[in-house]
Amino acid sequence: MSELRRTDHPGAPAIKLSRHPSSASSARRGILIVAVTAVLAIPAYAQRGNSQAPTSPVTGNAANGKAFYYSYSCYACHGYNGETGRAFVGNWSSNLATEENFIRFLRGRANVAPLAPSTSMPNFAENTLSDKQAKDIYAYIRTFKNAQPDVKNIPLLNQMVEDAARPSK
Amino acid sequence: MAKKDGSLNRRGFLKGAAAGAAASAASLVTDTPQAAAQGGASTAAAVPAPTQEQVARDAAAVRPPVSVRAVQRPGSDLMVQVLKDMELEYVAGNPGSSFEGLQESFINYGNPPNKMPEFITALHEESAVTMAHGYGKAEGKPMIALLHGTIGVQHAAMSIYQAYYDRTPVLMIAGRDEGFIQAHTAHDMAAMVRSFTKWDAQPKTLEQSLAALQRAYNEAITPPMGPTLVVLDTELQKEEARELKIPAYRPPQIAGIDLTKAREIAKGLLDAQNPRIEVRRLRTAQGARLSVELAELVGASAGTGATTGPMSFPQRHPLCGPGSSTAYDYTLGLEIPAAQASIIGPGLATLLERDSANIGFGGIAPAAGGRGARGGAGATSATAIQADAEASLPLLIEEVKRQLTPDKRRIVEERKAKHAEANQKARIEALTQAVQTKRNGWDSSPVATARIYAELWPWIKNEDWCLASPSGFSGAHNVQLWDHNKPYSYLGGQGAGGMGYGAPASVGAALAAKSRNRIVINIQCDGDLNYAPGVLWTAVHHKLPLLTIMHNNRAWHQELMFVEYMCGVRGRGTDRGHIGTSLRDPFIDYAKMAAGYGMTSEGPISDPAKLAGAFKRGLDSAKRGEPYLIDVITQPR
Repeated sequence: MSELRRTDHPGAPAIKLSRHPSSASSARRGILIVAVTAVLAIPAYAQRGNSQAPTSPVTGNAANGKAFYYSYSCYACHGYNGETGRAFVGNWSSNLATEENFIRFLRGRANVAPLAPSTSMPNFAENTLSDKQAKDIYAYIRTFKNAQPDVKNIPLLNQMVEDAARPSK
Repeated sequence: MAKKDGSLNRRGFLKGAAAGAAASAASLVTDTPQAAAQGGASTAAAVPAPTQEQVARDAAAVRPPVSVRAVQRPGSDLMVQVLKDMELEYVAGNPGSSFEGLQESFINYGNPPNKMPEFITALHEESAVTMAHGYGKAEGKPMIALLHGTIGVQHAAMSIYQAYYDRTPVLMIAGRDEGFIQAHTAHDMAAMVRSFTKWDAQPKTLEQSLAALQRAYNEAITPPMGPTLVVLDTELQKEEARELKIPAYRPPQIAGIDLTKAREIAKGLLDAQNPRIEVRRLRTAQGARLSVELAELVGASAGTGATTGPMSFPQRHPLCGPGSSTAYDYTLGLEIPAAQASIIGPGLATLLERDSANIGFGGIAPAAGGRGARGGAGATSATAIQADAEASLPLLIEEVKRQLTPDKRRIVEERKAKHAEANQKARIEALTQAVQTKRNGWDSSPVATARIYAELWPWIKNEDWCLASPSGFSGAHNVQLWDHNKPYSYLGGQGAGGMGYGAPASVGAALAAKSRNRIVINIQCDGDLNYAPGVLWTAVHHKLPLLTIMHNNRAWHQELMFVEYMCGVRGRGTDRGHIGTSLRDPFIDYAKMAAGYGMTSEGPISDPAKLAGAFKRGLDSAKRGEPYLIDVITQPR
């Protein structure tokens, strides 16, 4: 679909970021273009982290963190509850295991290696987001609960699977 | 418009009279605030007050005096007859003086008047052409869009570009009036959109005009399909046609494969142990039906493009899926490259003899590979045959039937049973896996996009439905959760990725649906709707079976993520990434917007538990021909 060509939206399996291969003039101007290629269709379940939320100490202020979660547009890719888009609730990466891991992760994003597909998340340099602010954000996302029910408790989805066993209109 | 001597020319007089009448008409309905404001506007004071007689006529209290008609058989009547002969259902336009003669014929000529085609009131030329784009994808044939001179053509330009890119037939007519406003006319009216118009003409006589309309229609539906434009001078619309005969319409002859190729492919399919047919976007619903007939005759498993666009193999047909084995020993591609043989219609690259100065990029000009491979233009298969797949199918089917022996028929039946079983199993497995991710954020507020699609499905699965809006930005959950079994189940993307497409394309699809007892679903991105939302009024005015559900994430969200990313790359912080990408301060109230256009609406809804009730109300309303909008506040993605 055309609208997905430049998409690095959460939920896309993996994104290759490169200079546009066929546009020399764009390259000369130094314009980075998010290329279209979903490099490898890695199924979501293959990327799953820990289903249990971390239990490491939290020192930040969750109320402040909520404001930063919005103002720094974390919600844009991870949803308002961490459950949609590039979801992390119920799929806790080791990058979220501790405050220290989280901060290290934020500092090593896209500006460090902008051509690597693993860095499609923006970089958060210390001069734009302090350690204290990062800890506040961490405190906020640690308040997120895994609220999504099991499929067996969602009749609508079960019905769809049942319907697949019957001829379709 | 006043002349130097102080007298008024005809147009100036009419304009003044109209303004005066409008002001007076407004004064008759001063209980509405807008009318009261207009009634007091200072612009109305410059024209003389209308007489009682004029006011009465304007209020339709009296009929205009009967007078002798200037012409007995206006040229535009013949133009409309030509369009009737080609069975064009609709003409969409917002009024323009350059086609006033033609518009008068549309609404008054024929018995019954204003039918085939019926005049659809658009509020923007971009809407008119995109309506035709949506209709063209749903029906595989054009409807008409009317454009007013240079200004109408330029308003329409983006939509024309998009329909061209999307290989969709649209018949456009632009009025041209040399004697009126210079800025509205041009020597070569079509020049400004020729780079992305398949064919155009600016005839000099009425006779040529009739022939041009017929050819424009045929060019639009001949592969590669695309928008065509006929520029009709206002004088030709108004001239006396006298005894001029209307030429009989002859449909185009669309080239398919020859008998030798048909025999060869039929043999390949029947000799194979495990034949495969890959189907993408054919021209019409008939093509989709024929592809099913062929697959059933040879017992081939089939691949489909039904989840990415119209006119393809039904997704839940027992033969659709990977089949009992993916070790295919003969593959036929229909509008898609394949290993053994592919029949692919000509691409738009074949049109490069036209002015292509500005289209040497993307999927239009390149003939090979990559983004140029638009199901036709970029065929790389060594055995690609340039012929229209749909036109080739009847001969191919005939040849398969001729070569089928009782033995082969038995083998085919056995193979079909195995494929059906394997495909159903594959479907169940795929769905079982898909629902594990679709439950993400199931109870979240704002609403997860997957839940919109999941909640809607039970309400539409037993209806004849069409999803007319692109679903990519709202998660494309229909691809995994819904069954796309009709040629129009899903109409696919915008064409050229241009915004402002979802609502007008859905209105066009709903025009197609109206007389066919079908309902149209529009899952509408908020940024996209704001380009030309007046099309909501068109849906109400024409009583279309259309349900619009807002995917309201209060942003041009993809761009928000792009800008946020760029902020990160440059180490400047993401906290201003929302500037120029978000729709907040204030939030837009889409239920109120719809209500303003007369559309029944509800919302905003951010509690997913409220979706089912709203969807039921919306569908009940849409089925009555009362379009309905539900504003749903969603998770960003």
